[in-house]
Amino acid sequence: MTEQSCFLYRTMQLIRVCEEQLARCHARGLIHGACHTYVGEEAIATGVCWRLRPDDAVFSTHRGHGHALAKGMPPFALIAELFGREPGCSHGRGGSMHLFSPEIGMMGASGIVGPCILQAAGAAYSFQLFGGDRVAVAFFGDGAVNNGAFHEGLNMASIWKLPAVFVCENNQFATEVPFQYAAGNPDVASRAAAYGMPGIQVDGNDVLAVAEAAEEAIRRARSGGGPTLLECKTYRTRAHAEGMGDYTYRTREEVAAWRERCPIRRFRAGLITSGEATEAELDAIDAGIREEIRKAGEEAERAHWPRAEAAAAHVYAARSRAHAPEPVVDSSPRPPISLAAATLEALDYEMERNPRIFVLGEGIGARGGNFGTTAGLFAKYGAARLRDTPISERGFTGLACGAAMAGARPVVDFMFIDFLNDAFGEIVNQIAKMQYMSSGRLKMPVLLRGCIGIGHSAATHHSGSYHSIYSHIPGLRVVVPSTPYDAKGLFTHALRCDDPVLFLEPRELMSTKGAVPAEPYEIEFGKARVVREGRQATVAAIGPMVQRAAAAAEALAGEGVSVEVLDPRTVSPLDTPAILASLHKTGRLLIVDEAFGPCGIGAEIAAQAADAGFNDLDAPIRRLNGAFAPTPYSPTLEAAVTPPVDRIVAAIRALIEE
Amino acid sequence: MAIEITVPRLGWSMEEGVFSAWLKRDGEPVRMGEPLFAVESDKVTMDFESLDSGILHIPYDAPQPGDVVAPGQRLGYLLMEGEPAPEAMSIPAARAETVARPGKAPVTPRARRTAGELDVDTAALRGSGKGGRVREIDVREAFARKTEAPPPVESVPVSPLRRTIAARMMRSRENTAPVTLTRRVDATEIVRLRKQWKLRGETPPAYTDIVMKLAAVALQDHPLLAGRWEEDRIVLAQGIHVGIAVDTPHGLLVPVIRDVPALSLEQLAARSRQLIAAAQSRRITAADLEGAVFTITNLGAIGVEAFTPIIQFPETAVLGMGTIRWEVVAEGNGVLATREQMMLSLTFDHRVIDGAPAARFLRTLAALFGSPYAHCGR
Repeated sequence: MTEQSCFLYRTMQLIRVCEEQLARCHARGLIHGACHTYVGEEAIATGVCWRLRPDDAVFSTHRGHGHALAKGMPPFALIAELFGREPGCSHGRGGSMHLFSPEIGMMGASGIVGPCILQAAGAAYSFQLFGGDRVAVAFFGDGAVNNGAFHEGLNMASIWKLPAVFVCENNQFATEVPFQYAAGNPDVASRAAAYGMPGIQVDGNDVLAVAEAAEEAIRRARSGGGPTLLECKTYRTRAHAEGMGDYTYRTREEVAAWRERCPIRRFRAGLITSGEATEAELDAIDAGIREEIRKAGEEAERAHWPRAEAAAAHVYAARSRAHAPEPVVDSSPRPPISLAAATLEALDYEMERNPRIFVLGEGIGARGGNFGTTAGLFAKYGAARLRDTPISERGFTGLACGAAMAGARPVVDFMFIDFLNDAFGEIVNQIAKMQYMSSGRLKMPVLLRGCIGIGHSAATHHSGSYHSIYSHIPGLRVVVPSTPYDAKGLFTHALRCDDPVLFLEPRELMSTKGAVPAEPYEIEFGKARVVREGRQATVAAIGPMVQRAAAAAEALAGEGVSVEVLDPRTVSPLDTPAILASLHKTGRLLIVDEAFGPCGIGAEIAAQAADAGFNDLDAPIRRLNGAFAPTPYSPTLEAAVTPPVDRIVAAIRALIEE
Repeated sequence: MAIEITVPRLGWSMEEGVFSAWLKRDGEPVRMGEPLFAVESDKVTMDFESLDSGILHIPYDAPQPGDVVAPGQRLGYLLMEGEPAPEAMSIPAARAETVARPGKAPVTPRARRTAGELDVDTAALRGSGKGGRVREIDVREAFARKTEAPPPVESVPVSPLRRTIAARMMRSRENTAPVTLTRRVDATEIVRLRKQWKLRGETPPAYTDIVMKLAAVALQDHPLLAGRWEEDRIVLAQGIHVGIAVDTPHGLLVPVIRDVPALSLEQLAARSRQLIAAAQSRRITAADLEGAVFTITNLGAIGVEAFTPIIQFPETAVLGMGTIRWEVVAEGNGVLATREQMMLSLTFDHRVIDGAPAARFLRTLAALFGSPYAHCGR
């Protein structure tokens, strides 16, 4: 047998035997959650992975056992993961739908349909940026091709000629919904034309046909020829998930007919017919695999459980280095610069020293960004590192996720945080969770930046303040600077830390100027700044409200009222100790945030203060928020939805009178 | 039709009371005559019987135990079987403030913590926060007073009765225009009157009883002094009910003898002995402390000659009796005689009556002193 035949036969059989063993284990109760088997589709993962190297990346689906095994994951790591054991490939954090083994290029299975396409495009982007000839592959089902991620991902891969292969495993059902019903154009391969890339359709149950088409696509990707869409027609012959009924949406006859078209039996017959292998040789391989899987299963059953204490480990990257401290004295005094200029300075400095940083966004290339956030950088670092994007917020956010997984440091410039909400799922389900799901083996240094805040009649799609929503999510850092000095230090830290960061710049403060040291420095997250010291009340103000709170405190100082103003600077992590320390001093706490009140960061601060600071409270905790309404356009309406200085003054006064 | 349950007037002078408790539960059937609720007035707690039958409905905004209530204020309703409750009047806006009472004001957590650290009793503090809420500053100020004060003075706790007396005295001071007139009267005849009882071997009436009897007679000729100022009118008394100031171990109590003109001196004396004994032992009822239209106070036994008694608001006048003693009196023609004399001190509310008519009351009374027998028969 040739090396290829041996790999193809052995891999397909390994997948089959392992899946059947897992199905039995599921019935025995050893698998605690879902179990989606790959039975009937083995030829696709096997044929595609035949020409992939360990340093190529595979992004998989909820039906990912076959991809993991074909990419080289030992069966024991897969089985133990489904058993929920510590030596499992995701250390028990994932199960069937979250298989991670980045060291062999298995970049994760996923419970969400679509993102793997964007992530493969992102990894491909990194590979292209770093040079070399690595390739990223996305496996996805027919269900994913009617998802926006397919459209956005293939389009971006095409315009930037990314080294990616998009493998559609068309098994004809998206869970139980027939693709014939769900697709206006059920010919997936033909859709490639819409994106200007080759689209190839093959019999997904013919491993040689798959291997041949994949080899061609991989070669094209490696050689800079860009992406390929490969549609592999196939059929899953077990239920969508183990334990589910299977004959409400398809017939026993249809399933039985497809079993007859078993890719392994077909390939085996070919090997024997051509004389490449004998029945006995193949039987011996089969017996060996059965023994291997049996042993792996037994070993997995004996494997130890993860320790409960580890349940919340790896949410954030471990700190691995000292940071550049803030300058004690500014060594090079110079005229004040704006907040936007401060972050630009930080970005420029970091891009120069770290070639893995690149920027994605609309108009951030030659134009230099809507707010001048990348002004002058395009000329310096070129198109690959200052990448103008199509208006595909979800797409390029998912792409940034994949790029970070593959080792780059993407900066995504949204202009306005309102646009970032279109990428909510990519941020919350993927970027935020990736470090945890990979048990810390993947780092996710993604910097997502955009403006927040009400003003200039920007109306409701250019004025949101959604920091509270994202501070609710474990795995994210949420930064809201309010001065040029803080913005530079926090931005520099964001570009050097390994966690995903939302950097939310108050738009009304973008052009405010302040003293900023010329040299690079970092401000760690979770360290509040005392804007003004006071004794009678603490005002914790967020982002654009910091200046107003300071103005209110100044006005009250004239009346002999002493107010302490605190700028948390990051809402996740939140500097609770600093807030409590101030409350301990003053006994009163007002939180001023332009964002909506309910479930906001003010509610969180209030809850923490009421809990840990209960005995310090000399008055109820108060919040002052923007109106619970979308932002209106007309200046009179707009002014009515954001807290002005005089209302802050009144709120502080009322608090002191309580 | 829902029947309103309202706060009744506890007595002549009651302007507000404290709601104590419901004696029936919300939704419970109540029969006419059954005890329904209790209200505390200045000195006693009284149970009130239901005037009607029905099912008790206590609205959400009904007074809570401890709330100050005014006569006429709605407490709840009696409903017929199946009758819907009348719509509640209004949303209680500031419950916290209405229930804030001395010693019960809320204390902020910080104030409580500070009080613990400084060993300050927050129950004794008046809060400067909203609704009397005790805040850190109140505790710190109390601590400063405690530590800065010179050696602690000895103090006596204020009893509820003392507090009531204080409040009543202040109410009198703030709400009347008092003037005191004094007049010497000849007490020879009333001394003799008592002696006659003694000679008969009977317990004589107290001087107070005799003076009360005579004053009641005089008041019938000078009804304004038994009237009550009500801003737009002066309400005259329907019966001459006279209070006697009694010095008890607990403090001043003023039991009331009803319809003095209708009582013989013997009956009056018996009644006053009974009431004074009840007051001394504090077994007196609210009814016996209410309804006076005039009050007599006697400091003569302790040697005082004249003083300025304070009006028992809302009465109009109070008569103070001084000590009786022998004095030399010039009787004209250079004859000096010794007579038993007493000073009367009448404090009256100048809003109700002017000085001369008040003086004329004293003149009438002085005349009655000269011939008490017509009114002091047995």
